Amino acid sequence: MQKDLTKVRNIGISAHIDSGKTTLTERILFYTDRIHAIHEVRGKDGVGAKMDSMELEKERGITIQSAATYCTWKDHSVNIIDTPGHVDFTIEVERALRVLDGAVLILCSVGGVQSQSITVNRQMSRYKVPRVVFINKCDRTGANPERVAKQVRDKLGLNAVMIQLPIGLEGDLEGVIDLVKMKAIYFEGDNGEKIREVEIPANLLDDAAMKREEMLDAVSMFSDELMEAILEGEPTEKMIMEAIRKGTLALELAPVLMGSAYKNKGVQLLLDAINNYMPCPTDIKNIALDLNNNEQEVVLSCKPEDPLICLAFKLEDGRYGQLTYIRNYQGFMKKGDTIINSRTGKKVKIGRLVRMHADEMEEIEESGAGDIVALFGIDCASGDTFTSSDVSYSMSSMHVPNPVISLAIIPVDNKAQANMSKALNRFTKEDPTFRTYVDHETNETIITGMGELHLDVYIERMKREYGAEVKVGAPQVAYRETITQRAEFNYAHKKQTGGSGQFGRVAGYMEPLAEGEYEFVDNIVGGSIPREFIASCDKGFQKSLEKGALAEFPVSGVRCVINDGAAHAVDSSDIAFQLAAIGAFKEGYKKANPVLMEPIMKVAVEGPTEFQGAIMGSLNQRRGIIIGTLEEGEYTVVEAEVPLSEMFGYSTVLRSLTQGKAEFTMEFSDYKQVPKNVAENLIEELRKKKKEQGK
Amino acid sequence: MLKEDLIKKNPLRVLSPADQGKTGSPKMGLVMSRAGLGKTAILVQIALDSMLRGNKVLHVSIGQTLDKTRLWYDDIFQDIAKTSNLDKAGAVQDELMSQRMIMTFNEEGFSVAKLQERMKDLIDQKIFEPDCLLVDGFDCSAAPEKVLTEMRQLVQGMNMDIWFSAVCHRDDERVSKAGVPAPCHEADELFDTIILLQPDAKKNCVGLNIIKRDGQIRPSSKSLTLDPSTLLILEN
Repeated sequence: MQKDLTKVRNIGISAHIDSGKTTLTERILFYTDRIHAIHEVRGKDGVGAKMDSMELEKERGITIQSAATYCTWKDHSVNIIDTPGHVDFTIEVERALRVLDGAVLILCSVGGVQSQSITVNRQMSRYKVPRVVFINKCDRTGANPERVAKQVRDKLGLNAVMIQLPIGLEGDLEGVIDLVKMKAIYFEGDNGEKIREVEIPANLLDDAAMKREEMLDAVSMFSDELMEAILEGEPTEKMIMEAIRKGTLALELAPVLMGSAYKNKGVQLLLDAINNYMPCPTDIKNIALDLNNNEQEVVLSCKPEDPLICLAFKLEDGRYGQLTYIRNYQGFMKKGDTIINSRTGKKVKIGRLVRMHADEMEEIEESGAGDIVALFGIDCASGDTFTSSDVSYSMSSMHVPNPVISLAIIPVDNKAQANMSKALNRFTKEDPTFRTYVDHETNETIITGMGELHLDVYIERMKREYGAEVKVGAPQVAYRETITQRAEFNYAHKKQTGGSGQFGRVAGYMEPLAEGEYEFVDNIVGGSIPREFIASCDKGFQKSLEKGALAEFPVSGVRCVINDGAAHAVDSSDIAFQLAAIGAFKEGYKKANPVLMEPIMKVAVEGPTEFQGAIMGSLNQRRGIIIGTLEEGEYTVVEAEVPLSEMFGYSTVLRSLTQGKAEFTMEFSDYKQVPKNVAENLIEELRKKKKEQGK
Repeated sequence: MLKEDLIKKNPLRVLSPADQGKTGSPKMGLVMSRAGLGKTAILVQIALDSMLRGNKVLHVSIGQTLDKTRLWYDDIFQDIAKTSNLDKAGAVQDELMSQRMIMTFNEEGFSVAKLQERMKDLIDQKIFEPDCLLVDGFDCSAAPEKVLTEMRQLVQGMNMDIWFSAVCHRDDERVSKAGVPAPCHEADELFDTIILLQPDAKKNCVGLNIIKRDGQIRPSSKSLTLDPSTLLILEN
């Protein structure tokens, strides 16, 4: 079956927390007949919104996992990914954006462009996702869509063009004026499902005409035909829409729509806009890497007859086994087909193919290019590429940030122990930013992630979904060590204890590496170290990187160069050269002036202006460097760079400082050197801890 | 090149010697030009020079976003580091950025009283104690003398230098005796140093016309220009 790909839309919905994404998605599902009643996020009926299927999400009123869902609107198929708004879960947002063709950026008409929207917008730009802006909550007191549109231009740098105007605002919001059609549109019925399109009320006509003029000015840049039509007389609706679409797809225009999802106003027009202005799969150029041809870039075609290429972007361990969400970029697959995981080379058979609708699913027989579907019972990691047997392509990898915070967890009893490992196994497969390992010295299980809330949520899920009760240690920052100057090494490992001995000598130097974690350079000439032992030296250095000699934190940013050495015909072996390299690393490391590095977070605190002094003071106390402040009327944003170790518990402090009126977001920025006095204390503490353990 | 050489060789030495610390009385400077000639670039270079010499700089940006202002610093610093082949540029940049703070206001939201309040917060809590204040994007169009006088009093009380940028218009021909164009033609007494940017079509660059330096009108000095591609100040 060949689908008309021009009628397929893969759309993400993303925005600042609490700007109403889930509420909006709920309305979309209702109007597209996927659900038959609307439940609110924190509704009194206790059912919760459809997309928030995880119990914890319903309770906290936030969306944690991006649930994919499918619906149809006016003969178009629309796949929607609901994405989390909190910055700790950005991997979800990034993964969703990777597989989407377009996105709806939701902004609150009162709060406007908040720091999280800026982060999300930056991510969208990274993946070149065309966007439509929806200004939600126009029914709230203080709503000002025009101001928000200006902020989109100023703060997000998007060419935001209003294609609608509100009819009334705040409590008087009645509907919107469509500036393309020049009609007033009202939403009637219990759930706003009846749309009444009438002439624009006389009192708004002048304003609408002026705004239409502005819109046409901006939009005509993208169509000569439209420009001519404007000069000659009246342009047609179709021309305007085509020009808006062209500008949007070129990422040079962002149409701005408005309404109130909660009050059921404007949602259907947003769906129309998704159909009209968002790209279809063939509009987007997707690139894969040909593994057989030195990772050459290959442009994918979307044609069903071409080899199959799809990307697993999300895993979920549901009631019925592992569910793998995939985006199909090219080719065609059906039940019973065999596909190949290009990372592992393993063949897998497609047993069940489903289309997801939040937590319910619909069995389907086949899937073509442009689809977002889910496979059952396939063992893979998130980010894997699947292909048919005739090609070996890999989709370009996704940007996965390194974890910055860790926690020790201790199961309370044996039962919890077993459940905990099951849970951890699943979570690490689902979320590449969540990792776990066992500290061999303390025998504790350590979990690492992107922030306090991120780890909190997993601990809570462990308890609820797996019944694994754990005791939680204090959060630890993921410190690192690095070197600051070049140092030479020349180390011989000798051991003679009867039988064959061990011998290897490794010489060369180490130096700071500006970008990347580790690099090994082999400059050996004349075979002073035989070829077969070069890899052993590399292995030995890599082992040394696991624990630095300064404070036993992982070492990064080092280039190890070997240029001389010696071997013995009988006594040299793989292990002898590994040990020689470890010895050489130790020798060089001490001389290379090693320092401690800590994760620095980019923190943005938003709150009423009257608290600016207090906010800045609180950041300053935390070794923060205040980059700047942004004052806008009654609101102010303070941006700073603060070490993560100082940010624990900041939300409580901020709440009490500002009577709960300020909020903050934080994301990882960079690793920077720990100031000397702080580093000394840290090293001292670590020594004490080790001593205690030794007793 | 080392950081110290960068300070010594900076073309801005024409305006102030390298060792000029905070011994003298605070100075008030003005950079004027028509729109789009590079006022912000000059202010940022003045700020970077001051920061290199160990001073702390508060950059007040009116009508610009925080990110944009920060980008100005990043770009100009990187260009300077590249053209002068600066040693350990990354480390120097990190060090400088901790000596800078940016404060942005929207046009309607700015007033001297508000700035004073914000600065008091910063200084009282020892969050940031600036030695030099830059005010970019300040609207001088309507009788600026009063506000500028207030500003002068404010910074003199706090013992810091201050630099302003102001836009002049081609069609406004009013000019002070010293050659300062409107709208600052009646306030030129307030400034110790005044630089006027003038495009030079022949040389395809923008010249820095130093109208006043340390209170001296039309001082004789080496002439400075602005490279039109990098916006860096060059000595002729």
